Amino acid sequence: MIDSWLSAHLQAAKRALKRLVATPVASLLSVLVIGVAIMLPLGLYSVFANITAAASRLNTEPNVNVYLQVAATDAEAKETEKRLKALPNANDVRFISREVALAEMRRVANMTDLLAGLESNPLPHAFLIKPKSAEPSALDGMRKEIAALPKVDTVVMDFEWAKKLKRFAIFAERIVVLLGLVLALAVVFVTGNTIRLQILTQKDEIEVSRLIGATKRFIRRPFLYYGACQGFLAGVVAILAMTALITWASAEVQALTVSYASDFAIKYLSPLQILAVIGIGTILGWLGGFLSVSLYLRVYTSR
Amino acid sequence: MITFSGTVKRYPNGFEALRGVTLTIEKGEMVAITGHSGAGKSTLLKLAAGIELASQGSVLVSNQNLSQIREAGLAVLRQNLGMVFQDHKLLFDRSVFENVSLPLSIAAFPRAEVGKRVRAALDKVGLLNREKAQPITLSGGEQQRLCIARAIVNRPAILIADEPTGNLDQAYAATIMDLFKSFNQVGVTVLLSTHDEIGLARLNCRRIHLDQGKLVV
Repeated sequence: MIDSWLSAHLQAAKRALKRLVATPVASLLSVLVIGVAIMLPLGLYSVFANITAAASRLNTEPNVNVYLQVAATDAEAKETEKRLKALPNANDVRFISREVALAEMRRVANMTDLLAGLESNPLPHAFLIKPKSAEPSALDGMRKEIAALPKVDTVVMDFEWAKKLKRFAIFAERIVVLLGLVLALAVVFVTGNTIRLQILTQKDEIEVSRLIGATKRFIRRPFLYYGACQGFLAGVVAILAMTALITWASAEVQALTVSYASDFAIKYLSPLQILAVIGIGTILGWLGGFLSVSLYLRVYTSR
Repeated sequence: MITFSGTVKRYPNGFEALRGVTLTIEKGEMVAITGHSGAGKSTLLKLAAGIELASQGSVLVSNQNLSQIREAGLAVLRQNLGMVFQDHKLLFDRSVFENVSLPLSIAAFPRAEVGKRVRAALDKVGLLNREKAQPITLSGGEQQRLCIARAIVNRPAILIADEPTGNLDQAYAATIMDLFKSFNQVGVTVLLSTHDEIGLARLNCRRIHLDQGKLVV
């Protein structure tokens, strides 16, 4: 029983492969079209996954950076610290001396040679304040109060854009999912249409098979394998094209990130993601075949 | 084995191909349906094979009412029927061997058994040496014999043939009729339609005449 079942499936798979090889140009074009349809959401997913990864490295907590004038002395910095701690919206105030800032700059920015040439430390004393409330009105009031303090040079609140970026990444993720669903439907339709053309060339065989006792399942089987094969190959094409694209983009991004002293790099697809893409491609191809041949059998074949 | 009870076949345009046919064909019997073109011979055979459904009355094959049978049941029934079509219905993109093996593939026979049965069927109809040929290279008579080989490869209990000698010369027609006779002699129920009076004389079987969809006694 299992032997017969297995043999029937093997025969159907062989027949599907034969059909695929029998029309190499048409098969290749279909696989490429489906591959591109899979690659579009995959590419967008990859872009936004990397943006999300980059955004997650950004500090989106509402921090306020206060830079004193370069001429401000240590005593004046102490006085400013006291006043900052007295602010009603200040939760935590951390003092970063100009010496600490310089050492940090040497460590992170790899600018040892450039900084060694300086006669004096060009960096000011600074404070990092964590506010109690992130309400825009409270922060705006706080900024005004700080700016009015003596020896304060600049007040920077630069977390808003990071928050926006994070929100954009979440929105983009949803768009990718939506686009993925739409293009998944496109894959089903493209495969279905290719198989519809196959069905038309096999019309006589289907009719004869029905007359001599083939079940709909038997007739459907080779077309399902055909669709699955196309989906599988299209998945492989999409993965190969994506990998080539990431490799190309990585070199460009790396050149950019080095100048910003960042170790950020574009991620390649993981083995699990590769398997998922190929698996989804195979399933969508199978589904396209199923819908196409089922529709044909329902509409066109006699009893 | 096959029973028609008050069977009427009416097509959507209102044409009645069969008008209240009542007929029983016993197991192991050989019956020839005769009649002019348009008398309802092919319709009767299509109803027996479950290709068409009766508009009224019933058709029972091996005690199964074909109007009530499900798709899977009908497929199994057809696997146990041998069908010889007037237009052969061969697959011209496949070899002789592959055409004959199709019913066995459908019935999921093991590969070793397929080879044995196909060669036995081809041997029976005298086409063993043509197993690798393409059907297009066969003569009309050989194509008909190929169609018969495909019909008998499953060793069916019932053989249904629609004008099996229709386009053949007398010598070929005689060979084909002899084949049906030999199948019947080993217990196969044979139901065939024909115009061929000489062939009928060779068969020496029960004759049923149809005229304008009605049985003529």
